[in-house]
Amino acid sequence: MEEYQVQAGNEAIEKIENFIAVNRLTANTRIPSERDLCEMWGVSRTTLRNAVDTLVEYGLLYRVLGSGVYVAEPKLVRNLVGVTSLNDEIRQKGIHMSTKIVHAGVTEVTKQISRKLRIPLGRKVYEYVRVRAVGYKSCILETLYLECQAFPDFDKHYTERGSMDYLYRNIYHRKQTSGEEHISVTYVSEEEAALLEIRQGDPVFFTSGVVLDEAEKPMYYYKSLFRADQFKFVSVIDKKL
Amino acid sequence: MGEHMENKEIKINKEEGIDSENNKPIYLQLREIVRNKIEEGEYMPGTAIPSENKLAETFGINRLTVRNAVEALVNEGILQRVQGKGVFVVGDKYEEVLEEHGGFVSSPSLKNKRVSIKELDKTLRYAGDKYSNFFDIAQDALIFDIRHLNYLNDTPLSLEQIFVPEDVLPQLKEVNSSVFSMMDIFTFYGIEVCSMRQTLELVTEGLSKTRKMLGVPDDVALIMLECSYRDRDGRVIEFSRSFIRSDKSSFCISLHEK
Repeated sequence: MEEYQVQAGNEAIEKIENFIAVNRLTANTRIPSERDLCEMWGVSRTTLRNAVDTLVEYGLLYRVLGSGVYVAEPKLVRNLVGVTSLNDEIRQKGIHMSTKIVHAGVTEVTKQISRKLRIPLGRKVYEYVRVRAVGYKSCILETLYLECQAFPDFDKHYTERGSMDYLYRNIYHRKQTSGEEHISVTYVSEEEAALLEIRQGDPVFFTSGVVLDEAEKPMYYYKSLFRADQFKFVSVIDKKL
Repeated sequence: MGEHMENKEIKINKEEGIDSENNKPIYLQLREIVRNKIEEGEYMPGTAIPSENKLAETFGINRLTVRNAVEALVNEGILQRVQGKGVFVVGDKYEEVLEEHGGFVSSPSLKNKRVSIKELDKTLRYAGDKYSNFFDIAQDALIFDIRHLNYLNDTPLSLEQIFVPEDVLPQLKEVNSSVFSMMDIFTFYGIEVCSMRQTLELVTEGLSKTRKMLGVPDDVALIMLECSYRDRDGRVIEFSRSFIRSDKSSFCISLHEK
């Protein structure tokens, strides 16, 4: 049944992917040499090399010069369903998360922010720029706006070691209930690159959104940059639930 | 930006002390200022933004910084450079609602944009090592392997590859997958799609063949969207992987309390 045969290039890619899955190879494990794999699967050196190239581009493998090909670290998951899920999920996995405040200030709302937070012009908002590190690697640069009047003394309560989620819940008794997030891709400036420890012009995920409380009142507006080499976004929808 | 300069900096509560001296005004990112002005409607779609010189002067930053910020928005697809005429604001990007992702045809957020699908090829092939495990079928079971080139207003938007086991939907041999979305086709044949998992990743290097088909420059990132769908019994019935031009599309998702 020649006609059902998978094209050699794709077959080699799939064989490698399957080899990693079936043998449960963990991150930073070296896969067998090209020669061994070629022999094992009866494919040509060129085909195998192209397959490895493709999987390196997908971010599944990486090459170390003079040493071989290794399984890449899996990307962190930004789950796209829960409002507050990021911290919880990462912490549940036992990965250390920390925050560095880059800027904190009070500013008058711009037209855009007044619209997002549904407050009149002239009102003041707290503005925070924070770098979130996951496992000591700077991964997320987040800018956040919340209205001063709605969150009095937020600047006195909030510290780098503390959690905004905790303050919303326990000091202000507001529950993050729903929101809408927009996701696109942007390219970092020199300053952002320095904060995220990547190169200027590197592409990153750009997310923005407004989080609402139970009464559908906006709580805060945020814009975040996620390192694309560290994160993937996942959305799981189960209608049976 | 005078208004911003007058605003006071509050002291940062750090355990080791207070400091706010060396804060760089990150919020003065020109890229974000321009983005906000577009959102606010000050810079309107179809009009030119001020020249690089003018922007540099207005915000008191050097031209190289201006150029980089503008370049980022050009690569994002929000601005478009027109030779000899300046830099123009592009209208809304194509936005895909992730939660309702049902293929391109039924996407609800199209407004006045026209989306079309070209079926590049449809073949039946052996499942092989990977997909026999993935779909939990025999290695020599057959799966459909369909490739679509999706267009937005006649511009290539994404290259999509779809895998469906033959025994899930044998009718797919006859049904044209470029007229109806896979979700619609499943519904036609009484298959209920009960759960789906979607992952979004960025692919920044390589994929020269895909880039060529999409006509996307090397400095624009590609989004890799992978979706797997399960039926009522939890069986995986479809897997698809798309490479999407990041300068032509964005995504939107509703968040809920867990």
